[in-house]
Amino acid sequence: MPDPFQRAALATPPKLAHQIRGLSDRTIAWLFVAPTIFLLLAVNIFPLIWTIRLSLTNFRTNRPNNAVEWVGIENYRKILTNPDTWASLQATAHFLVWTITLQVLIGFSLAYLINKKFRSNDLWTTLIVLPMMLSPAVVGNFWTFLYQPQIGLFNYFIAFLTGADPASFSMIGEVALAPWAIIIVDTWMWTPFVMLICLAGLRSIPPSIYEAAECDRASKWRQFWTITLPMALPFLMLAVLFRGIENFKMFDLVVQLTGGGPGATTQLTSIDLKREAFEKWRTGYASAYAVILFVTVFGLASIYVKALNKVKDR
Amino acid sequence: MKNFLNGILHLRRGPWEMLATILIALGVFMLMQPFALILFTYSFLVTLIGTVMFIITSHFPE
Amino acid sequence: MSYSITEPSSRQKWIAGGLVIAYAILTLLPLAWIIATGFKTPADAIAYPPKVLFTPSLEGYVNLFTSRSRVTPEDLAALGPPTTWYDSIVRQYDMVITGASRYGERFLNSVIIGFGSTFLSVFLGTIAAYAFSRFKVPLKDDLLFFILSTRMMPPIAVAIPIFLMYRQLGLSDTHLGMILLYTAVNLSLSVWLLKGFIDEIPIEYEEAALIDGYTRFQAFYKVVLPQAATGIASTAIFCLIFAWNEYAFAVLLTSGTAQTAPPFIPTIIGAGGKDWPAVAAGATLFLLPIMVFTILLRKHLLRGITFGAVRK
Repeated sequence: MPDPFQRAALATPPKLAHQIRGLSDRTIAWLFVAPTIFLLLAVNIFPLIWTIRLSLTNFRTNRPNNAVEWVGIENYRKILTNPDTWASLQATAHFLVWTITLQVLIGFSLAYLINKKFRSNDLWTTLIVLPMMLSPAVVGNFWTFLYQPQIGLFNYFIAFLTGADPASFSMIGEVALAPWAIIIVDTWMWTPFVMLICLAGLRSIPPSIYEAAECDRASKWRQFWTITLPMALPFLMLAVLFRGIENFKMFDLVVQLTGGGPGATTQLTSIDLKREAFEKWRTGYASAYAVILFVTVFGLASIYVKALNKVKDR
Repeated sequence: MKNFLNGILHLRRGPWEMLATILIALGVFMLMQPFALILFTYSFLVTLIGTVMFIITSHFPE
Repeated sequence: MSYSITEPSSRQKWIAGGLVIAYAILTLLPLAWIIATGFKTPADAIAYPPKVLFTPSLEGYVNLFTSRSRVTPEDLAALGPPTTWYDSIVRQYDMVITGASRYGERFLNSVIIGFGSTFLSVFLGTIAAYAFSRFKVPLKDDLLFFILSTRMMPPIAVAIPIFLMYRQLGLSDTHLGMILLYTAVNLSLSVWLLKGFIDEIPIEYEEAALIDGYTRFQAFYKVVLPQAATGIASTAIFCLIFAWNEYAFAVLLTSGTAQTAPPFIPTIIGAGGKDWPAVAAGATLFLLPIMVFTILLRKHLLRGITFGAVRK
């Protein structure tokens, strides 16, 4: 026989019941969220506001005794009319377009093949994924060894396939080849990422749709274009956007591979920004540069979250 | 198209978000295109407008 | 198993399997080459044509962990015979071991900073994710988006103010500074991932516990935490991998005491140019744990790389 208190507790709607015992839900919610918000405010938002402030001045970290002057939007004007900055954004664009194209083509094909569910496909999928989990800086550094003329494995491999002399070309030393050197390594590293997401997309398609299409005698080719691709498209978008954002801010891999050289052929925006901020120490100018990148990434991130929610609903 | 204009007029989320997305994409394209320096110069402004618009319009009712 | 008209034929499976395995072998070749190079002598490492078969040597590992200096043959003779196996390897090159290299310290830094930041971000992430999952938090969607967007920011751009701030606070090149920084970056991932995991735990369990007289806190750590254990573990590994691999912040904000391994490994050089076997040995030791973790994580990989949006 339950005592009256227990009966009262059972009769109370759950929401109210929580509040009776211990801290109220509201308090707990705040208590649990506050440390996260506080840390992010301290490490992200406060520095961001500081960056915006600095971007309006001519402050230089290596000359702390110079008078700091307000220059308004002068820094932004300088960056956005600087042909060198523009060139490094074009280098980024070249890198972006080719890495995404290659990764989508190879990644999607691999996912399509793995989805045929051959024996021990799980094992091979896990093995293929390995490169993307490793430290880009450490692996990128080792790739410079593979790219050595004469002794490098990559050059040897290409020479073996084409019959050229392995010492006749240097992937990271030549202006024409360096942009491709970074594209190859990035593709090697991140194709599995696109593959995994495409695979999830392909697996989310219910087989009944194909069965219906078979009954309607739709050809395999037609099935691919009318069922497989459209159904996997939201996932593909997600992968493209994410790789786009990641490669837009690419730093570690490329800095280790080519360091931006030869000349400025592989000087992607992040490397350009690093030079301005931590080698030339033009802090105000670099801050304005950083704000431009922030806003761009923030804009792309909002599109990404939209795509994310679309996939989540599936 | 009519739905889209209707949505714009009635401050609905969908079409406005679409507009902001297009602006952001346009800004990013202008930032990285190899064709004209003038487009590069104004790219930041376009992206900024698009992003601010996205933040505001994502609070519009569905 | 029932017969399905959409099931690929066995020939299709063979072709698909063959192509995927060929790709896998090609893609793993660079990794195999790293491991192999670590066991080569410097001469073998730069041989032409590249040597696939070679006599294994621990020279790379000895060079990785020691610093050496060259001595004249007379001095070397005066030292007497080498006492240890690593001594004898070094003496072939008229060198003596003068002490330990910095690799051990850097590796240890990676461990301290990696585990420290992982613990903090998973702890903070779990409680925040619980709150986001179960309670009405004002501006929830905006907060979640804000948390996610912090992850997307270019590290170099973030590093400018952090660099100045850390200099003011005396946090530059300290373990604490790096732990806090990596925690902040990892928080977004851990909140998003864990929110997904906690969302999946039926709310009825907690309600039953609350009716049984548990407080919210008790319900949280006696009912929710055990249920979310797998999720928490895989989130932790993802956070650890990020902190382990991170390079940009490490190279800009640390130089000595708190430097982690990724900025250090590429700077390993030998007597005559780059000592590739030592670099490869350092890389192998550094990458192997992550390879193991990846295999452990394989069921949750997809979830981790899409902030929990795509499950299997």
